[in-house]
Amino acid sequence: MSALKALRRRAFTWFADRPVAGTLGLLAPGALWLLVFFMVPLLMMLAYSFMERGLYGGVVYEATFEHYLRFADPLYVTILGRTLALSLTCTVLCLLLGYPVAWTIARSGRLKNLLTFLVVRPFWTSFLVRTFAMIFLMRESGLINAALMGLGLISEPIQLLYTPWAVLVGLVYGFLPFMVLPIYTSLEKLDPALLEAAEVLGARPTARFFRVILPLSMPGVVAGSLLVFIPSLGSYLVSDLLGGAKQMMIGNLVQNQFTSARNWPFGSAASFIVMGLVLMAVVAYLRTRDDEEGGLR
Amino acid sequence: MSQHLPPRWVIALTTLVYVFLHAPLLVLVVFSFNDSKFSTSWEGFTLHWYERLFERADLLSALKLSVGIGLGSTVIATALGTLLAMGLARRRFPGRAFVEALLYVPVVTPEIVVGISLLILFVAMGFQMGVSTILIAHVAFNISFVTIVVRARLEGMDRSLQEAAMILGADEWTTFWRVTVPQLWPGILSGALLSFTMSFDDFVITSLVSGPGSSTLPIVVYGMVRKNIEPTINAISAVILVVTALLLWFADRVGGEEGAPKGH
Amino acid sequence: MSKKNPVQTLTEDLQQGRLSRRDFVLQALGLGVSLSAVGSVLTACSGGGEGEGGGEPAPTPGADPAADTLEKELRIYIWSDYLAEDTVPNFEKEFGVKATVDTYESNEELIAKLQSGVSGYDLVCPSGYAITVLSALGLIEKLDPSRIPNLGNIAPTFRKTNFDPNDELTVPWQWGTTGVAYRKDLLPAPPDSWAIFHDKAHAGKMTMMDDMRDVIGAWLRFRGHSLNSKDPAQLAQAKADAMLAKANLQSFLSAPVKAQLISGDVRVAQLWNGDTAQAAAENDQIAFVLPKEGGSIWLDAMVMPKTAPNKKAAHAFLNYILRPEVGAAISNATGYGTPNEKAAPLLARPVPFPTPEELAKLEYIQDLGADAQAWDQLWTEIKAG
Repeated sequence: MSALKALRRRAFTWFADRPVAGTLGLLAPGALWLLVFFMVPLLMMLAYSFMERGLYGGVVYEATFEHYLRFADPLYVTILGRTLALSLTCTVLCLLLGYPVAWTIARSGRLKNLLTFLVVRPFWTSFLVRTFAMIFLMRESGLINAALMGLGLISEPIQLLYTPWAVLVGLVYGFLPFMVLPIYTSLEKLDPALLEAAEVLGARPTARFFRVILPLSMPGVVAGSLLVFIPSLGSYLVSDLLGGAKQMMIGNLVQNQFTSARNWPFGSAASFIVMGLVLMAVVAYLRTRDDEEGGLR
Repeated sequence: MSQHLPPRWVIALTTLVYVFLHAPLLVLVVFSFNDSKFSTSWEGFTLHWYERLFERADLLSALKLSVGIGLGSTVIATALGTLLAMGLARRRFPGRAFVEALLYVPVVTPEIVVGISLLILFVAMGFQMGVSTILIAHVAFNISFVTIVVRARLEGMDRSLQEAAMILGADEWTTFWRVTVPQLWPGILSGALLSFTMSFDDFVITSLVSGPGSSTLPIVVYGMVRKNIEPTINAISAVILVVTALLLWFADRVGGEEGAPKGH
Repeated sequence: MSKKNPVQTLTEDLQQGRLSRRDFVLQALGLGVSLSAVGSVLTACSGGGEGEGGGEPAPTPGADPAADTLEKELRIYIWSDYLAEDTVPNFEKEFGVKATVDTYESNEELIAKLQSGVSGYDLVCPSGYAITVLSALGLIEKLDPSRIPNLGNIAPTFRKTNFDPNDELTVPWQWGTTGVAYRKDLLPAPPDSWAIFHDKAHAGKMTMMDDMRDVIGAWLRFRGHSLNSKDPAQLAQAKADAMLAKANLQSFLSAPVKAQLISGDVRVAQLWNGDTAQAAAENDQIAFVLPKEGGSIWLDAMVMPKTAPNKKAAHAFLNYILRPEVGAAISNATGYGTPNEKAAPLLARPVPFPTPEELAKLEYIQDLGADAQAWDQLWTEIKAG
């Protein structure tokens, strides 16, 4: 037992004396996993996006740039634009709804773990069953219309389902936890003493929020926004089921290329164009943030 | 005032959001008792769909497999992701922004691309498709989410506590478990919850990297829904909801006294 | 005796146990009787079908010699909910084979897996056009008809298909047609044409399926063209018709539309006949019609991948499902038609084979090959417009 302890201590000291090795030791397992099981296959797909499509799926090993050029068609640019707008709206709504939730959880004391759990628990049921329940609520003869008519607010059922609004509701529902949890995570470490200090110094509640709480939770807001915005770009089932499949999103386009259209290279090319745009934005953002931090220290 | 509760309207909005999140679940549970194959209107009370659960051995074994893969991939991804976040926070090195951007690649890649590319890789490596390939795939797409969430916690976190512990003579191991992990705990827990949720509900990637005899719950459920959403699925969802509620209650009773590491 | 023809004699010998089944098959074939006819005789003689590998001596109950030679495992990869609940358990019991069933949701998922080299599956059940692809890729093994004596139970309508012209690769599983489901009580008159989707009177109360082959195919038929057309002018016209219809559609929705037909939110829906029958069982105001311009017929069939590890067990299973009562149980569970003409009369809800007039209006969906890209572009334009 003590031998083990000694070994452990020696290992730690060894790493402590060699900060670079220590950092590598922390980074290596996860980075290696991502490298082998994510980057390598992804690079393969990148190579695919420059090849001719195979008649029955897959590719033919002949180099071409056509799939990237094809994406310049206004048809696809429109789809991309529409998808970006939808994802952006979804992110803003998630932020507006998720921030209050995260704030409440972070200040809920003993209820903290319970409330955190309740944010993700709906998602431990099947996506499809959940969505069908939403359809039941929103459809013409559904519960929401019945309730509104019962209350005398409307006389005719209104079309809720199969509208862009329904898609938005579905997206917000599905991505809310990805906003709430990171914000909660960064709000939770907020020292109440800071707020007390601000209060003592006479800061009004609004000022306390904008000058103290919000800035300190910014890392969570940024992480949450990225975790909502980026994956929502690729979602396709929600717009199919709640939007009535009448509007095509980038996610549907990519999905179709790997299924009915059997055009893997174009599907890959479309994915890499979107990924490239998003990653460039992320890198640009991280650069400026690093510079700011560098300046502060 | 010491709790610094948020304004009342914030709490009210929070309540509304919780209602929004759980309203469909209520519908889902109600229909698990509905005496009709189609969830269109209330046709009377029945326990038939719960009895059917016992006849659908495939559903139960798929549930078991999903829970197993969910837990396994969550443990691995949370461990690797947390270490990765700590490594990134530890020091600045050239190209760190690049490495961080790479973290977002799994978040940004469409699921079908992940699925197809992993399928090709596994076959090229001579892997037999099955539980292990599903596990590897789930860990791969979960690591990034954990790292990103834990980093939100780490950023700007006070390192003085760790330094103080070291000065007071605690070795790195003790410092790690007694100081660092509790400080990171909300981030680790959040990351783990997201991991499990994504693994448990994933269909697109799993269906591509699964093999004979390794159908997870979403695969079975998607199949049942393709033709008609049989309320047996509502029943199994309701069972999951009840079981998690019980687990929650149990964890709260145990964890309330000594249990999980606490932030403060 | 001498007045009977040789086949009758043989049959009697078989019935009275003077002849083993293998000898019967060999001698009957020698007399020029077609294999499928031999199969039917064997089935008839054993009172409702026999399951063991073709040509083996008649089994003594409890000790099937053929079963001993089967592998102990069988892995089936099939559309979900495509088996009756007792289909596999009964097979396991009778043959002592442990069977695993996994399900997939699209032909493309199946093709991607087999194409990239995933092995381990003994039987898969693609749609016709996917069988064309799989066989073009050389992934399908020819079946050994001598091991499937029940092949003769399959109706001639479903043999010599475009995806298996020589009947070497497939055992047809289930079939159906795509047409229009509608609510009798909510429409003044039954629709008889795809033109119903252009009728503004039902705007917002109609759906078409979320599938490019079905939607574009219907509008090609509407103008009297083949639903496998590759002609740009015909396709452009189909796109225009589809866009016109889209303005009236509540949504593009496939199987889940059943619930909305039942509730009345949807009055007219493009749908498969089997799904319509399922919905009609809940609400008798729902009916199905094949538009006068015609529609598509589909046939899913079992095939055996080249990499199948348990080929004998796979053959035994194929022969087993061709027994009339097993085939009927499967169709009773799925609601679709059985291609098994001995099973068809046993269905709880009869699904009659298409009449010659109907067949003339029905077309199989075929693989588009290189033109899939043009179709996809069209579909994207319809969706984005």
